[in-house]
Amino acid sequence: MKTKMIPTLMAAAAFTAGAYAQTGPIRIGVVTPLSGTYAGIGQQVKWGLDLAAKEINASGGVSGRQIELIYEDEEANPAVAVQKAEKLFQVSKVDFLTGTVNSGSTLAVGQVAERNNRLIATTVSFADSITADKCSPNVFRVNARAGMQSAALADWMASTKPNANVFYLGPDYEMGRSTVAAFKSAAEGKGAKTVGEVFAPLDNKDYSPFFGQMRSARPSVIYTSVAGNDTVRLFTQMAEFGLSRNVQVVGASGTVTSQNLQAIGKAADGFVTGVGYSPNIDNADNKKFVASFEAANKAQPDLYGADSYGVLFFYKAAVEKAKSTDTDKVREAMRGIQWSTPQGIKTMRAGDHQAMQDMYAVRVNGGKFEIVGKVAAAAAIGPDSCTKF
Amino acid sequence: MTEALEWLQFVLAPQMINGLSIGVAVVLMALGLTIIFGLLDVINMAHGEFYAIGAYLAVALLGLGLSFWWALALTPMLMAVLGYATERGLIQRVFHSKDRHTLTLLLTFGLAIVLEDVLKIIFGANPLRVETPITGGSELFGLFFPNYRLFVMVAGGLLIAAVWVLVFRTSLGAIVRAAAFDRHMSASLGVPVSRVYAATFAFGVALAGLAGVLLAPIYSVFPTMGRDFVLIAFSVVIIGGMGSIKGAVLAGLLLTQVQSISSLFISPVWNDPLLFGIMVLVLMWRPRGLFGKLGHA
Repeated sequence: MKTKMIPTLMAAAAFTAGAYAQTGPIRIGVVTPLSGTYAGIGQQVKWGLDLAAKEINASGGVSGRQIELIYEDEEANPAVAVQKAEKLFQVSKVDFLTGTVNSGSTLAVGQVAERNNRLIATTVSFADSITADKCSPNVFRVNARAGMQSAALADWMASTKPNANVFYLGPDYEMGRSTVAAFKSAAEGKGAKTVGEVFAPLDNKDYSPFFGQMRSARPSVIYTSVAGNDTVRLFTQMAEFGLSRNVQVVGASGTVTSQNLQAIGKAADGFVTGVGYSPNIDNADNKKFVASFEAANKAQPDLYGADSYGVLFFYKAAVEKAKSTDTDKVREAMRGIQWSTPQGIKTMRAGDHQAMQDMYAVRVNGGKFEIVGKVAAAAAIGPDSCTKF
Repeated sequence: MTEALEWLQFVLAPQMINGLSIGVAVVLMALGLTIIFGLLDVINMAHGEFYAIGAYLAVALLGLGLSFWWALALTPMLMAVLGYATERGLIQRVFHSKDRHTLTLLLTFGLAIVLEDVLKIIFGANPLRVETPITGGSELFGLFFPNYRLFVMVAGGLLIAAVWVLVFRTSLGAIVRAAAFDRHMSASLGVPVSRVYAATFAFGVALAGLAGVLLAPIYSVFPTMGRDFVLIAFSVVIIGGMGSIKGAVLAGLLLTQVQSISSLFISPVWNDPLLFGIMVLVLMWRPRGLFGKLGHA
């Protein structure tokens, strides 16, 4: 019964969507984790989107039409994300969809978008594959991908610690191994030497059994991609054993975050990572954004808040260029478009739908991140390896 | 020859000392578990959460402005009260039914889930920090070793010895062992068996809480921290013999040494397979573990 209904429903949806296009508000669906492990990220996504929608609507909307955001909680679960996205496309008839956090959710929702002939953009997911081997004509990414973060960090390392001896410590699962592999190739490309690597189980409680091995490898830089509570333990225990003295610790952008920074305390000082955003970026747009974000939410924006704020301006620019909300026309308009964000002007690369932007190396100092290096967009993005469109 | 000696001194010895410091932590966890099992025949699935509550109590007491040493002294007392209440209020209610094993297992498992969420609601999901009360380190075999870990090793060792003396060398311990050996006979000789049960459960819970405070500065504090040690503690109890204190101590030190030394040669990913491989072998060879039960030791 249900499956038989779908073609009819879809026809009806297409008809009604076409019928009131160009008149009512533009509906944008947001599938994001509002509860569960990633609720903190979902909160930033919502704050960023709400602020951008308010600003765009106050200044006359998109081609004169107001933006209406419709939220659905995906609980950081790709299976739930798929249902919620389907509902937003079919029932709420959204014109565009964003908000997915987990890379698995983004990939799964991308397929839903393909079936519904709609466009989505992620503002958070890092996995390189989303705009590489698993790219989709219906999926865009406005935030920096993992490879760009590695490139920024490797560039900073090559200039401050030339030909460093690097030891790698990753959590033993897909994300941990792929981040280590990505950074290793970026670092070796710039002259760094690998002196050892260890993959510790996820939720490892004691890292001290690996310290003997790390010490005897005599690294000048230690790279790690552990996250969450694991970072707290690793950094605390390294400080306990005096292992972080005379060694530069660097890592993935998810290693030290606002969630665990407080618990790591002083042991986090000096840690450097590559990111696509920092509230300290020195330009007028960012200062204005940070000020209004803080006024509205009583919290600083992080990279998720900033990129989610930026995505609505990306969509607005594309719709105004296309003079339509029609999927094919908007997609054409999005390819190669330039738009203004708190990070400065971004360019959407046409070949793989990956946004190009300047990247930063940031260092923890007294519980805050400060910018210590910058890599131009063109140097950070890496080759276009998308072959699907 | 000198090379081999240097390897022993600079690679193997520090690794073994390190393993010993983790071993003491594991034994502290396993001790409470094995005592509760040995006497009450209850597999306490919430043991890890009691360990977490101990750590959070320390965080709360430190937040009130008390020193770490006060927290270390007060937490086991508060935990004992909690343990006593848990035994009286929950475990006693299903203790005398026919499917005691299944019911107490399910009950403590449910309790574990509830306690973990309660911690999350009160303290939030983000990890918290307990400052190390003893900073700095000492040279040991030419290698730097943190002073606080040395303290934990010594304090843990003393604690284990104290528990052993209490159980095997005092009249209180004799009452406990008698109740474990034959509860009807003990009762008819005037031992208040149900109070002994509750007090022993409280004692096991207090030990878990104490381990939580002692280890908080090393392992940090977060709601799911109870899952850390509980798996290896269960393995230790099974290998050592359910209910055996001697078995728990020996198996705990043995397993952590195996893990520590093996991580010099093979990837840490093999840690768990190795651990459970040993457990399977021991169970095949001696299904009741290395040593017998509490009342029989």
